[in-house]
Amino acid sequence: MVFEKIAALIADHVGCDIADIKAESTFEALGIDSLDTAEMVIELEEELGIEIQLKEKMETVGQLAKYIESQKG
Amino acid sequence: MIKTALTELIPIEYPIFQGGMAWIADGKLAAAVSNGGGLGIIAAMNADADYLRQQIAVARSLTDKPFGVNIMLMSPNADAVAQVVADEKVAVITTGAGNPAKYMDLWQQAGACVIPVVASVAMAKMLGRSGAAALIAEGGESGGHVGDTTTMALVPQVCDATTLPVIAAGGIADGRGVAAALMLGACGVQLGTRFLLAEECSIHTNYKEKVLKATDISTIITGKRLGHPVRSLKSPFSNAVFKLEYSQISDAELEEMARDTLRLAAVEGDMQKGCFLAGQVAGMVKKSQPARQIIQEIFDEAELILKGVNRWIK
Repeated sequence: MVFEKIAALIADHVGCDIADIKAESTFEALGIDSLDTAEMVIELEEELGIEIQLKEKMETVGQLAKYIESQKG
Repeated sequence: MIKTALTELIPIEYPIFQGGMAWIADGKLAAAVSNGGGLGIIAAMNADADYLRQQIAVARSLTDKPFGVNIMLMSPNADAVAQVVADEKVAVITTGAGNPAKYMDLWQQAGACVIPVVASVAMAKMLGRSGAAALIAEGGESGGHVGDTTTMALVPQVCDATTLPVIAAGGIADGRGVAAALMLGACGVQLGTRFLLAEECSIHTNYKEKVLKATDISTIITGKRLGHPVRSLKSPFSNAVFKLEYSQISDAELEEMARDTLRLAAVEGDMQKGCFLAGQVAGMVKKSQPARQIIQEIFDEAELILKGVNRWIK
């Protein structure tokens, strides 16, 4: 599942408990800025073997997961 | 002459851009820089389509050389100004504060050279493949919106991550900086602070005086808590924000404090309430000169340095 993968990456990045990351958690509240998001997207691409084109700003973890699911086709 | 991949990509004499500084980089300054052999850039900032059209017309009335427009992607008018640069067939579009992917098709169809500003390797990878012609790697020494990584550390890492030409920005004000940037793998530079003292730069005299008085430790970063850190010259405004940032004040109140402060600095020269954006190199800017002279001086010095590097090889 994409959401779990993102949650694991975030937990790793910010050093928080993976259980605290919900679909509705905002990146801002998690202390993740746009540069961190870009880095995680690149890592996710390598893990999932797909290219993710971000055209809109993602506010929540759930939004990003949903977007990536749609890109996976 | 210093010729690089950048002078091949864009028909400019010297591989130098003037940064798109809000309330500062207008059509007059951009034209002066382009006439001086570099690439002048108009800042679209948060302004509306009419303002940008006007400034493009000003630039075109003063130069027949190519110039650029910087699109600040967080602007509430981003969609409108993105359309203006396409309609006006602006030669070069630089972007800041985000990912320009959604405008890429529009701009490429208009024949523009799109050059995003990046502050990290991941951003460089992401934006580099979406049709960008080059990348500006901007280190945290810069004035205005900044990332954490310094130019010295960022430029070589971005160069390793992309095959596109890389333009170094942040911490460069003279020929030594240009020579160093080329050594780090860049093929051009973008300067902002030095051009504040260009004679054709219309900012308030108080702003220019403040830059002339600045030393190496005169700048400060504020706005980290709100997620968009900004480097400016220390002032009553920036000192107050710096202190309040770590107090109980709400985000909304902090945002409100920053409202209109760039205009107050650049247009009104308000020493109390203005936010005077400048990079760490402000201490190196010692005199007011025409833009053309600034560019020539920088590249004469860079050329001299680069010709002499062999002396270290024994």
